[in-house]
Amino acid sequence: MNKVPQFFKDPNTEVKDMFGKTISKKYGAITVAFLLAFAVYLLPGAVTDAFAKEAFAEQVFAEEAFAKEVMAEEAVEGEGEPKIEWGQDVFYKDWEGNPLKGPISGAPAPELGENDYNHYEFAPSRIIIWVANQQHLYFGSFVLAVPIFCMLIEFVGIRSRESDPVMADKYDKLAHDLMKVSLTAYSWTAILGGILLFTFITLFPGFFKYMATIFRPVMHVYALMFLAESGVLYVYYYGWDKMNNDPFLKWVHCSLSVLLNLIGTVLMYLANSWATFMQAPGGIDEKGQFLGNIWHVIHSTLWNPVGVHRILGNIVFGGGIVGAYAAYHYLTARNAEERAHYDWVCYVAMFICIFGLIPLPFAGYWLMKEVYAFRQQMGITLMGGIMAWLFIIQAVMIGLLFFAANSYLHNGMARVKGSHRYMKYCKYMILLLIVCFTMWMTPHTIVMTPAELKVMGGAQHPVVGHFGVMSAKNTAVNLMITCTALCFVLYQRANKKINVPWATIGNCWIAAIFVGAALNIIYLGVYGYFLPANQRVGLSVPQVSSTLTALFAGVAINISMFKDSESYGDIEWGTQSKVGTYAIFLLAISFTWLMGLMGYIRSAVRLFWHVTEVLRDNSVDAYTLTIGEAGKMLSFNTLFVWTQFVIVFWVASLTAKKATAEKAPDGVPVPAQQQQ
Amino acid sequence: MNKTLLSLIVYVATLGVFHNVLFPIFTPKEIGMVMNRYVYYLIMVLTVIFLHLIMKLKPTMAFRGLMVWTLGFYFYKFILFPPVPWTLFITYMMLWSIGTFLYISQDPITFREFREPIVKTIVGEYKFAQILVFTLMPFLVGFGTYKALYPTFEEPVELRTVHPAPPATTKVHGKTYALEGLQNPFRIAEQDDYQDSFPFLDADKSEYMRHITDGGSLFFQNCHYCHGDQLNGLGMFSHVFNPTPANFVDPGTIAMLRESFLFWRVSKGGPGLPNESTPWSSAMPPWEEHLKTDEIWKIILFEYWYTGWHPRTFDGESSITLKE
Repeated sequence: MNKVPQFFKDPNTEVKDMFGKTISKKYGAITVAFLLAFAVYLLPGAVTDAFAKEAFAEQVFAEEAFAKEVMAEEAVEGEGEPKIEWGQDVFYKDWEGNPLKGPISGAPAPELGENDYNHYEFAPSRIIIWVANQQHLYFGSFVLAVPIFCMLIEFVGIRSRESDPVMADKYDKLAHDLMKVSLTAYSWTAILGGILLFTFITLFPGFFKYMATIFRPVMHVYALMFLAESGVLYVYYYGWDKMNNDPFLKWVHCSLSVLLNLIGTVLMYLANSWATFMQAPGGIDEKGQFLGNIWHVIHSTLWNPVGVHRILGNIVFGGGIVGAYAAYHYLTARNAEERAHYDWVCYVAMFICIFGLIPLPFAGYWLMKEVYAFRQQMGITLMGGIMAWLFIIQAVMIGLLFFAANSYLHNGMARVKGSHRYMKYCKYMILLLIVCFTMWMTPHTIVMTPAELKVMGGAQHPVVGHFGVMSAKNTAVNLMITCTALCFVLYQRANKKINVPWATIGNCWIAAIFVGAALNIIYLGVYGYFLPANQRVGLSVPQVSSTLTALFAGVAINISMFKDSESYGDIEWGTQSKVGTYAIFLLAISFTWLMGLMGYIRSAVRLFWHVTEVLRDNSVDAYTLTIGEAGKMLSFNTLFVWTQFVIVFWVASLTAKKATAEKAPDGVPVPAQQQQ
Repeated sequence: MNKTLLSLIVYVATLGVFHNVLFPIFTPKEIGMVMNRYVYYLIMVLTVIFLHLIMKLKPTMAFRGLMVWTLGFYFYKFILFPPVPWTLFITYMMLWSIGTFLYISQDPITFREFREPIVKTIVGEYKFAQILVFTLMPFLVGFGTYKALYPTFEEPVELRTVHPAPPATTKVHGKTYALEGLQNPFRIAEQDDYQDSFPFLDADKSEYMRHITDGGSLFFQNCHYCHGDQLNGLGMFSHVFNPTPANFVDPGTIAMLRESFLFWRVSKGGPGLPNESTPWSSAMPPWEEHLKTDEIWKIILFEYWYTGWHPRTFDGESSITLKE
């Protein structure tokens, strides 16, 4: 039974979308819908804080009233009745701004001693737990990201079944192949999780006992959710072929991927709560005694921003790994067909990766804002204190990501017929990127010899010293993102001759939106220097809005202009330049390293606390590593995880070889620019 | 004539003339809106582009890449003033080199063009260049090794944290203050309302200006020797200190900090800094030994009023304490 509406089949309405296939024009709306859905998804990030606080005020009011009632009852009942002890929350406040009270329901945090820590001879316990944790997180991130890709790719495949069956099969096969890798990686993740758990229990028994006491119910729910995740995953993967032919069952199958992602997200959020509790606890009193509300413990102040940041990070990380896998196969392909296939996979992976990369800095910014709001001390330690040099390294890595993404887009665009119209702008975009990046990574405190300091006349340089503050950084990063978005818009239209009657108006609108956004971002950046710090922070919202408006509106107008467009020629998949392909490796490796770095910073900012200001780390390892030592560990973790990825991909390819030997796929995918 | 060679001659000649003739003219003692080194640089770059356009020169990609790279080097080495420290220079040049690489590798054609002379030199198609490069290279490596191994006696660089994280609490004159949420007791009005007032002259007109005046008097009695009478860190003793005293006019100092941070920093001085901030490097005395608590707060009030900065606050938090 064919459920596809008639208008999807009308051959006269065919245009192409950014995924590179010939489809009906209505499908252009799907892309726009994706973009809008993503915008809606991001919206809570921008406003959740306000909603949460209001909702919270009501909740707190009710709790406070309940607490008073109970106390009044106690007072009436008098002696003889068991007394409930009340504690004051370290984070949550009632509607009057006083610490929230809750019934003490747990033991205080222990004062850990020598016997609460165990050691191996070969390495400090803190380093071992770091490696165990990081490896589990890398794999966890990958296995959470892949189902998101599969969901999107399978969905696009289903929707293009009628108009472009070859392409639809390609999408379906790609999603299936990715799931195969994910399945192996899933078991690997579980094993690494087990290792992590045992490392905690054996090396940090005192700390783990406290955490287990607080999070007891969460840990059980987590385990059950893991079971549900496994069940859905197995049905999803092993039911693929069986559910492939019937359109209804295929939709059910695709829905399973949605369910899989939902469970995966819940799993991640539950695990996040342990880390965010350790960094910024809530739901306990200052002695570390649980105050009876498990939701407060889970939903501590950093829970939401860390969750959003990790989802986006997972998408970029997963995209990078799949991209690198495809890039490797592209470079080693033995025939044109294989090269074309893997070139296209690189494209899809990079598309998803850049899609996640663009909003990632905003989510990071939100997280840092919440860290500052939790403890100024923690914020300063991160951005201006002992961790500040690591943030400079982070700036370098982020710059590399943007360079890699832009390099890929430029090289990808160069092979499209008709791109000569836009290639001449590439050098100006590169110049803008470099200037912005120079601002972005100019440190506030410069490393210099005393002689250099005297030559400069002070600790701050009179010209580049202005780039060391947040106004300049926000401006730079927003311009970099806007520039990348513009590059993407040009890439999309590289081989198209725009024929809509309103082409000039459309072009003017796109130009006006991007120039207007850039001018607004620069104006707000300069204006920020004349405002008090707390108001200046607020300027980042309109700056981000300008960037996102340029991104969404620019792409939407661009796509609408493709109606009735003519093509200068097809993309010849398999002709991507080597530089563009190596850029994918750069992106994947940089992101892995960056992920480790930021994870280390987030965790190490607790300094000598297991749980900030509640449970002190009294082990002999409670020191902060030097930058060089931390760098070595990060590089080790990166190398180690990539070695494992290579093994996992190899294991997954063992079955693939047999399948490939049976039948090679028909045809190559139809490129994005190959429309009409 | 080979267009790349012609382009090279034009480029070197332009650079030579500009650097030796125009650069001194554009760097007078009194810097103006036009007569400054940045305008000079812009004119120079535009001249190079203009000459290439009118002479219809289209040098090879390798030379274009070299031109772009050297223009960046010239900017960071000679134009940007005062000279930036070595670490920053390296950072900037690294970025500029990446940018140059992106420029030459933006598509396979430009990248092939860029590689062409390198490949031809290596394989021996450019015989003279091959002999030159392979003769000079061992010497260059030798010279680099010599430079790297030769002992130098420069002071080591310091990774000093200028604004370390403050402690959660601080004890001043026997009283313990929690820095989180601590506010200046004399900030009783919006400082922007008093922009046109002046300490000392308007001290009798409002209570707020009286506090500012008190703070100003104390500042000039105690602080201006180092921090300068314009609060720019260039006091009469400033040049003998390393690091130099803080420049409050800079947007990266008090403008970024809460008043509670300043209170802790002024009270405890250099010796109160944590190790990451090398307390042995700071000459600031612990002012709690010389000033009263109120006096410290008033000086802080004056510093913000004078520079026009506002103390840092966070969401929903006001810097004003006693607003009626």
